[in-house]
Amino acid sequence: MLRRSLLSMALAGAVAGLAGLPQAHAQDTTVRMWTFLNPAGQSPRDLALAQIIANYEQANPGTKVVVEPQAWDQMTPKFLAAHNSGAAPDVIWVVTDFLGDAIKSGSLADLSQYFIKDWTPEQVADRAGPYWDLTADGDKQYSLFTSRNYISIMYRKDLLAEAGIDPASITTWDGFVEAAKKLTVKDASGQVTRYGFAHGFSENQADPPLMIPYALGKGAELFQEDGKANFTTPEAVEGLTFQTDLIKKHGVMAESAVTWTVDDVYEQFASDRAAMIMGASVRVSTLQGQLGKDKVGLMLWPGSGDKPHSPAVMAGWAVGVWSKSPIAEKAADFVEYMLGPQGDPLWVQVGGQSPGLASTLASMGDFVKQPGNEFLSVVSEGSVNYGWLAPIDYSIGGYRQILNKAAQRVVVNGQDPKAALEEAAAEFNRSHNR
Amino acid sequence: MHSRRAGLIYIVPAFALLGLVLFSPVFYGFWFSLFRIQYGAPTDFIGIGNFMRLLDDPALGGTVRRSAVFAAAAVVLTVAISLALAVWIHKLGERRGFIVQMIVIVPWIISTVVATLLFRWVFVNDIGLALSLARWAGLGEIRILNDPTLAMGLLIAVSVWKRIGYAVIILLAGLKSIPDDYEEAARIDGATGWQVFRRITLPLLKTPLLLVTIVLTLSNLNTVETPLVLTGGGPGDATRILPMDVFDRAFVTYDLGSATALALVMFFGNILLVLAYVRLARWKA
Repeated sequence: MLRRSLLSMALAGAVAGLAGLPQAHAQDTTVRMWTFLNPAGQSPRDLALAQIIANYEQANPGTKVVVEPQAWDQMTPKFLAAHNSGAAPDVIWVVTDFLGDAIKSGSLADLSQYFIKDWTPEQVADRAGPYWDLTADGDKQYSLFTSRNYISIMYRKDLLAEAGIDPASITTWDGFVEAAKKLTVKDASGQVTRYGFAHGFSENQADPPLMIPYALGKGAELFQEDGKANFTTPEAVEGLTFQTDLIKKHGVMAESAVTWTVDDVYEQFASDRAAMIMGASVRVSTLQGQLGKDKVGLMLWPGSGDKPHSPAVMAGWAVGVWSKSPIAEKAADFVEYMLGPQGDPLWVQVGGQSPGLASTLASMGDFVKQPGNEFLSVVSEGSVNYGWLAPIDYSIGGYRQILNKAAQRVVVNGQDPKAALEEAAAEFNRSHNR
Repeated sequence: MHSRRAGLIYIVPAFALLGLVLFSPVFYGFWFSLFRIQYGAPTDFIGIGNFMRLLDDPALGGTVRRSAVFAAAAVVLTVAISLALAVWIHKLGERRGFIVQMIVIVPWIISTVVATLLFRWVFVNDIGLALSLARWAGLGEIRILNDPTLAMGLLIAVSVWKRIGYAVIILLAGLKSIPDDYEEAARIDGATGWQVFRRITLPLLKTPLLLVTIVLTLSNLNTVETPLVLTGGGPGDATRILPMDVFDRAFVTYDLGSATALALVMFFGNILLVLAYVRLARWKA
């Protein structure tokens, strides 16, 4: 009797379990995402991402978005390796330098097949611009951009005001040097206590060096049509000379800058050791959080004569869906939410990012005009009129590091800028001749 | 016969696991290195093409030389200092010896990245501790990370500091295993302290010394975190050593073909070094 009862209970349990199994699976979908942000962090972008994920999970019961934070400069190569080994995340943030590799590798799914095919022409127009064009291939679209990054001059509003410098007046490279000289401060013993400008030359966490906007502003191209380096043009040589002269000739930049990473430069800026730095628009809100919203601004690069401003390197993160994701549809749904009308305002308001949608910018005019948020207008203007996106038709990974190494050689070894760039071009071409 | 078969059955799973974990990546890497790698995946078979590309790289010779200098200096200094420390700790009383031992071990148990970052913060900035101390000592504007020779010196110093704890532990264990009777007998025979050390202690420490030398050599030849965080390979290429070159090829320019080829060359180089060390130790015996 007892045995029969136990058997009945076991059978009932098994049936109940089996009945519940499909339902439980259908409800618990986990979307894995790799990004450099950490929703548990406290930076504005971390907070924005956390809120977007919370909102999405609330709107989609049974779906969980798990973020696996990665080091930003190694994340994309790791993703490409994971794609080949079959262990990539469902959603990936791809850095622009490796975007071409990612698309050509077949690792990114065509988002048109999931949601863009259903968009109205107005929705497509809402995203129109160079970032959209970059990842479009005919009627296919491989990613949507976020954290649009405009790398130009971040400056201390209070220090420039103190020195009587109007950032809008810096429209030539000579004017830039004069401003940097005015902003460089020495103590009684002759030690520099604050430099006019800072820009890191380290190969670690390398931002595109200053010589690039300088050369682009003079009409040079950084790469040839076949993807080979075009680093030795007279404009590029002039640019590297100008960049290194900021240390060697003008004394407006610390010699230690040859070893500084991007993060070192932000630390210098945050600790009042530099009045202007080469900085990324995506970092403005973080620096404003540290120094005060009214103290940090962003300006365009000076021009080279014909135009008042030189093109800035635009970067950003192309968010895509892994082509082999078993839950690609769900992952695409999250990408659309995160970067669509629901998520975009949060990236702007909480994350301090420039908007990805024209409609967001239009609807948030008052917010953009608030003191401290003017940099968003600078980014918008710069992106349209003075921006340069690295080509994705060929692999260009490592160009920033190689150019930074050339700058190191000029400052530390006293190498001639042209010779340093010839070495850089040879190294780039060699490493991309596969 | 039966017991032999049983023994084989017992060890097969362990060997299979070792083969899977240790050797399969090497075989896969070798296979991978024979192909042109496009977007992370092997495409055309090119034989030794990736290895030939290494030979065409004019910078690689310098990288090999720097790696040899770095590893040799770091190993010699670490072994010499840790041997002196181990002998000193061995002579201290139990309590004082324990305290010193704990202090010496600290760098070894700190995460390499964290420890290297600490050094970087001391040396990288114009307002860093190192420059302030140099100014205070009247040495002027010495920026160690900006100078190719000093930057390499600092890289070696950090490496020695980081690994000294490990070497001291192993050598101290070796010293403790030497019976006191030997030293006492030598003393009775009139041997001086140096003679005891030279004729008795050092020969009996041969095995731990060999072990420490092998481990330190491999560890220094394969370290990527320390140069990556401390100097980034700079200034110029002054502190670029082989493992960093592999890292950059793989994760900066995404040239996985030559990165794999170079990693394999390093792997076989490591094996040859270990064999050479072991052979040298036998010959001396």
